[in-house]
Amino acid sequence: MMQGNEKRTNCISLLLVFLGLGLALALMLLPLYSFKAGIYTKKSSNTFVGDEKYREVRAEVEEIAEEYRAKGHNVEISESVTERTNSKGETTSLVAFSIDESFHKSILSFANAGLPSSAALLVMLAAMGAALLAALAGTLPSITKNGRALTGGQAALRDLSCFASLAAMISVPVFVLMNNSLFWRKISLYAQDLLTEGKEELYAKLDGFLYGGSMGEEIGDALKHVSCEHSPLVWALLLCFAVSGIAAILLRYGSVKKKLLRVALYAFVIVVCVITLYPYYVMFITAFRSNAETLDMYFLHMLPTKWLWGNLGDIIKRGVPGFLFNSVLIAGGATLLALLCGIPAAYAMARMHFKAKKFFLGFVIMSQMFSPVVLIIGISQLMNVMHLNDNILGLIFVNAAFNQAFAIWLLRGTFVSIPVEMEQAAKIDGCGTVGSMVRVLLPMAAPGIVTTLIFVFINAWNEYTISTVLISTASKRPITVGITQFSSFNMIEWQYLFAASLLATVPVVVLFMCIEKHLTSGLTSGGVKG
Amino acid sequence: MKQKQSWKPYLWLLPSILLISVFVIFPIVIVFRLSFSEISKSGVVGGFVGLKNYVEAVHLPAFGIVMKNTFWWVISVVGLSTLIGFIIALALNQKFRGRKIARSILIFPWATSLVIQASVWNYIIKYEYGSLNNTLLNLGVIREAINWRASYQIEFIWECACGIFVTIPFVAFCVLAGMQSIDESLYESATVDGAGFFSKLFRITLPLVMPSLTVSTVLNIIYVFNSFPIIFTMTKGAPANKTDTMITFLYMLSFYDRKKGPANALSVIGFLILCFCAGIYMLTMLRKEEDL
Repeated sequence: MMQGNEKRTNCISLLLVFLGLGLALALMLLPLYSFKAGIYTKKSSNTFVGDEKYREVRAEVEEIAEEYRAKGHNVEISESVTERTNSKGETTSLVAFSIDESFHKSILSFANAGLPSSAALLVMLAAMGAALLAALAGTLPSITKNGRALTGGQAALRDLSCFASLAAMISVPVFVLMNNSLFWRKISLYAQDLLTEGKEELYAKLDGFLYGGSMGEEIGDALKHVSCEHSPLVWALLLCFAVSGIAAILLRYGSVKKKLLRVALYAFVIVVCVITLYPYYVMFITAFRSNAETLDMYFLHMLPTKWLWGNLGDIIKRGVPGFLFNSVLIAGGATLLALLCGIPAAYAMARMHFKAKKFFLGFVIMSQMFSPVVLIIGISQLMNVMHLNDNILGLIFVNAAFNQAFAIWLLRGTFVSIPVEMEQAAKIDGCGTVGSMVRVLLPMAAPGIVTTLIFVFINAWNEYTISTVLISTASKRPITVGITQFSSFNMIEWQYLFAASLLATVPVVVLFMCIEKHLTSGLTSGGVKG
Repeated sequence: MKQKQSWKPYLWLLPSILLISVFVIFPIVIVFRLSFSEISKSGVVGGFVGLKNYVEAVHLPAFGIVMKNTFWWVISVVGLSTLIGFIIALALNQKFRGRKIARSILIFPWATSLVIQASVWNYIIKYEYGSLNNTLLNLGVIREAINWRASYQIEFIWECACGIFVTIPFVAFCVLAGMQSIDESLYESATVDGAGFFSKLFRITLPLVMPSLTVSTVLNIIYVFNSFPIIFTMTKGAPANKTDTMITFLYMLSFYDRKKGPANALSVIGFLILCFCAGIYMLTMLRKEEDL
């Protein structure tokens, strides 16, 4: 029963693989791209449409067109008229004639046209061939020799065919998407003399591809008049590859639904990760560009042409280490203070019974509600009164106070999860409450404490608003405020801004990754579960 | 036994209470007092003026649009980030190769300062030289550079998108924490009973992560409402406060326009809105506390 089923599935999916790949091959050979390429242009001098001069030029152009037609080119003449008024007030026309040749090319013929994606095309073809062969080698035995299990090599071949089909399935849409736009973008960049590298070579190839090598020196001008459109049938390619890809998966794994879900899961996670990492990628590559390249309006280079590691040296000269040091002071001080106040409070909440426990809990949660930003005016007034304005100490206090709630919350959760018996034993051995806490509870709660510590540290490290308001001396700024010195009103030095951002981000991201595992459990035990 | 030393717990709580009182509660008192006082442009505090500051704040020309923006800002960022964060948590709760890496990557935006995140996004969506156009053009996805910030409405949408981007990890990890505490056997018995993916999702997962989801949502409302750097970095509320939310507006009002009176009144209004959310939060938290 199972084997009969498997045989049928294999037959159907093998058929589908052939169908999909065959169709794809057919579509690749069909001339789906229609080109319109100018081969000759002639401008008339000031004339009026229909007058003698005009007819003269027209006849001349027609003659040339005839010559081309005789050679077997499919050409047509088009004219564009620009009207202008001369000094006498008469309207004259400037007529430009052009002879355009329209022809069709298949996707396959692009392979030797010097296209950026021609390599991708060859890879695709290879993948298709491999898929075909592997599918045959891997599946035929299971169909013909009914009931016999596949040998290891055959199974491996079958798997290979599936992967090849998948690869084709992914690379074709990418190719279709990229082919045209990349190609024409490159040509337009060449035409504007923004790109010069490899120009001759590509132009020679294109001359051969589009004009059969007849243009020679004039290819640059001629290319400006080339337009290219792909037939919607190109999209049918996608369908073909999707069919063969699904069939291939079917071959490999009995249940398509389950496997497709798996693929969808991976695709989703990958998309999420790519989007998440994109800003960091931008930050990284921009940090090592030159200033001109960060402001490049032609988008010439995706990656820095020259990695300027010296940008890091430049920002070090411009006070960034000082900002980082201030940030360490503020975040470190705030963390220390938050833990010094938080640990006893969390201990009391976890281990002692008293009447106002609930009231205090409410008080703590209340304080968690108010980010310092809404109270920023009040805080700056308070700092004025306490003479802590423009003082790092003030920032330490504010950060510690506003992280107090979270610290108590996380720590209490950790303390509660540790059994009381150990401390009681320590007390019997003669330790006081403080002694038993320091010697027994705190070492056991170390992971939770480290989590809290890092959490508060990062919060304080990343704090921006309060620091902008409270700190007015440049040398006392933390890094989050310090980086804004690179973005003044009329000029932003993106490369320095991002180089400094990179220095500010890497340590905390690494720290955060360290506590990621504890964070989930911390959030459950402390913050969320209550 | 411990109840006898009734003063002792308070001693343990004292440092914490002191810290919170001085640096959280006291500013609240100051803001309240100032909102009812006359304040000159140079910041000199005068006498009691009743509701004058509030009337002035409400009659500021930008007040309406700022409140509207704040509403949409909070609703869209909290709503969408909760939805997307939940879906991501669902995906990350599956077992697959590379899950650890995916989770580490997802935590990046949470660990990054908002002002840095906002600066990067500000650069990404620049029309003339931004990275998004650069990447898409060089990958061949688009042929012409696209103006990603053609109008202030679109800029505001980008700000919301950035807000969502940085908020998702918090939601995802809160929900993930909730999901991981669900007993695996529940799903197994549901599978035996023939439950499909969606019935498991709505009958088991959702009810059981509801507490985590509620807490993260309420906390998010507060964080997002208070969020300042994204809007301040990307548009500074320009043009003419049309992309301001309440927080950036009151900051500009107070520190740029020197209208401290109305700014304090706005502060109090914001404070009261937060109090309302805090009330809901506290009720849910304290109710759970009774269960312990």
